[in-house]
Amino acid sequence: MARITRRELMNLLGALAVAAALAGLAFGLPAVDRALSAERPLRSGAEVDVGAGVTVVPPAGATLDVTGTRPGGSMGSALFRIGAVQYGISVRPFDGDLDRAAAQLRQRITGNPGYQVTGAQLGVDTAGGLKGLQGGYTAPGRGGRYAVYVGDGRTIEVLISGNDLDLGRTLPQIEASTRTLRIDGAAK
Amino acid sequence: MISHEVRPGRAAALARVPAFWVIAALLLAGALRMAQITGRFATAYPIATLTAVGLFALLAVPFWLLVAELDFLEREPTELLVLAFAWGGLVATSVSIQGSAALENLLAKLGSPHLAAEWGATLAGPAVEESAKTLGVVAIVLIARRQINSVLDGVVYGAMVGLGFQIAEDIVFAVGAVALAGQGDDVQPVIATFLLRGFLSGVWSHTLFGALAGAGIGYLVVRRDKPFALRLGVALLAVLGAWASHALWNSPLFSDGLGNGALALLGVILLKGLPPLLLILWWVRHAHDREADYYITQLATLRDPGLITEGEMSVLGSGSARASARRLAGERAGSAGRRAVRRLQRAQARVAVELSQGVPVASLSREPIRRQREVLRGLGHPEAIAGPRSWRHTASTIITTLVAIAVLWVALSALGGA
Repeated sequence: MARITRRELMNLLGALAVAAALAGLAFGLPAVDRALSAERPLRSGAEVDVGAGVTVVPPAGATLDVTGTRPGGSMGSALFRIGAVQYGISVRPFDGDLDRAAAQLRQRITGNPGYQVTGAQLGVDTAGGLKGLQGGYTAPGRGGRYAVYVGDGRTIEVLISGNDLDLGRTLPQIEASTRTLRIDGAAK
Repeated sequence: MISHEVRPGRAAALARVPAFWVIAALLLAGALRMAQITGRFATAYPIATLTAVGLFALLAVPFWLLVAELDFLEREPTELLVLAFAWGGLVATSVSIQGSAALENLLAKLGSPHLAAEWGATLAGPAVEESAKTLGVVAIVLIARRQINSVLDGVVYGAMVGLGFQIAEDIVFAVGAVALAGQGDDVQPVIATFLLRGFLSGVWSHTLFGALAGAGIGYLVVRRDKPFALRLGVALLAVLGAWASHALWNSPLFSDGLGNGALALLGVILLKGLPPLLLILWWVRHAHDREADYYITQLATLRDPGLITEGEMSVLGSGSARASARRLAGERAGSAGRRAVRRLQRAQARVAVELSQGVPVASLSREPIRRQREVLRGLGHPEAIAGPRSWRHTASTIITTLVAIAVLWVALSALGGA
């Protein structure tokens, strides 16, 4: 049986070191990320910056998930958790009307395998007068609501998801929160 | 004195190198991961995915030819170039998708969501992506050390890893834009991504950053005449330079500093992209000249005008002079002459490499040179020398530049810059 030379051994060790470095990037970083909590408590009644000049007052008792929150200058997002229910808001530049924005959001929802839009779409307004549309959807093992608003060259999309029991309990608070959505400043 | 730093060796059979099997396993894992991602794309948006793959594959062709042409004298084996490209497109991309997202999350957790939103792409993306790509050049060194004979070889492999990464990432971004647009299987977001990432940022993207890091690895491996600490320092500086160039490109700096309109957008692109482009062009030029000097000196020892004349020696070391010689042959002897000069130049380069490998003079591959010399004599153009600068070439260069600027302008305007 052929014996491995020192040169071949070093070569193999070098390749294994490359594999280890890659594993550090592909699995080590996500492991460290998972080890740290993503949830941050919120002050009750305080506005949260979603990005692109949009703010919202989250429901009482909600926490902020910083992994889904990116308040940027021209676009942004915020992700809240109320128990097992996820309440996500995203904003981005948009030059169409409300119907088009709603059609695009529905298309994106139904583009996920197993997701279906349910029921009719209803009009919804925020306290500041932003016009929007809202509806419902079902996904494997969970249900959800969506809402979309258009104003000042931006579209604000809201996605809420959770199981029916949790949703039934938290939806009134979340709907009250979406009514506080406001375009406060200009997008950069 | 002849520099021996560029002397090539014979590539060991890949399969006999232990590292090859580890690298092959990593490529297989990367291929499976990217196949999963592409499969999901193709199921949801088949036409858009096919369009993205087609467009960006076409974009890869000129980049590939340009990078391969850099090392005309001592061409790298195609299988290694393919391996470098595959590392970038399969391994580095799949690792970076997970790693960059995790690092950006860590920025949000340890800093703030605002920090991650503003500087996440600047700090997380380059740190993970440049590391994963540089490991690709290290992988090439491990499986074919003797093929890395000059800093230029490092540039070529680094650029190929970067090119593979760039094309795969562009396809992912293009189909991601289709999903975000929410208009079904629509190709318009693919076209917009192609204009933005292909034309506007393609020149100073991953191919360039990869080339810079590759030059550093090449320097570390090849310049044995320098102290190890210096070589390591240069390599680290080059990788850091690639990271800094990438970070500058992704950074929010100047994002609204030059106003609106196509000119302002062009200004920002130049401000962010030009410094690394000039740096790597300078380094490539330096490495190319060094390599060319070495090989031309090898050929000069033959003193055989049948193989290479004085005039041809002054042409062979420069890309523009080689192109000028082919143009002159084309003008005087048609496409057959142009073809024969290209083959003659390739054959002369092969003999130079053989000489540097220590092949005995009697065993050099003279036959292909003789064959092309005969063809050229038959066409009445026996010597592959460069021609004087013609007005037609100058006009064609100006027109090409104007067309490139016009395409850039249309792309900027189409994307809302004007």
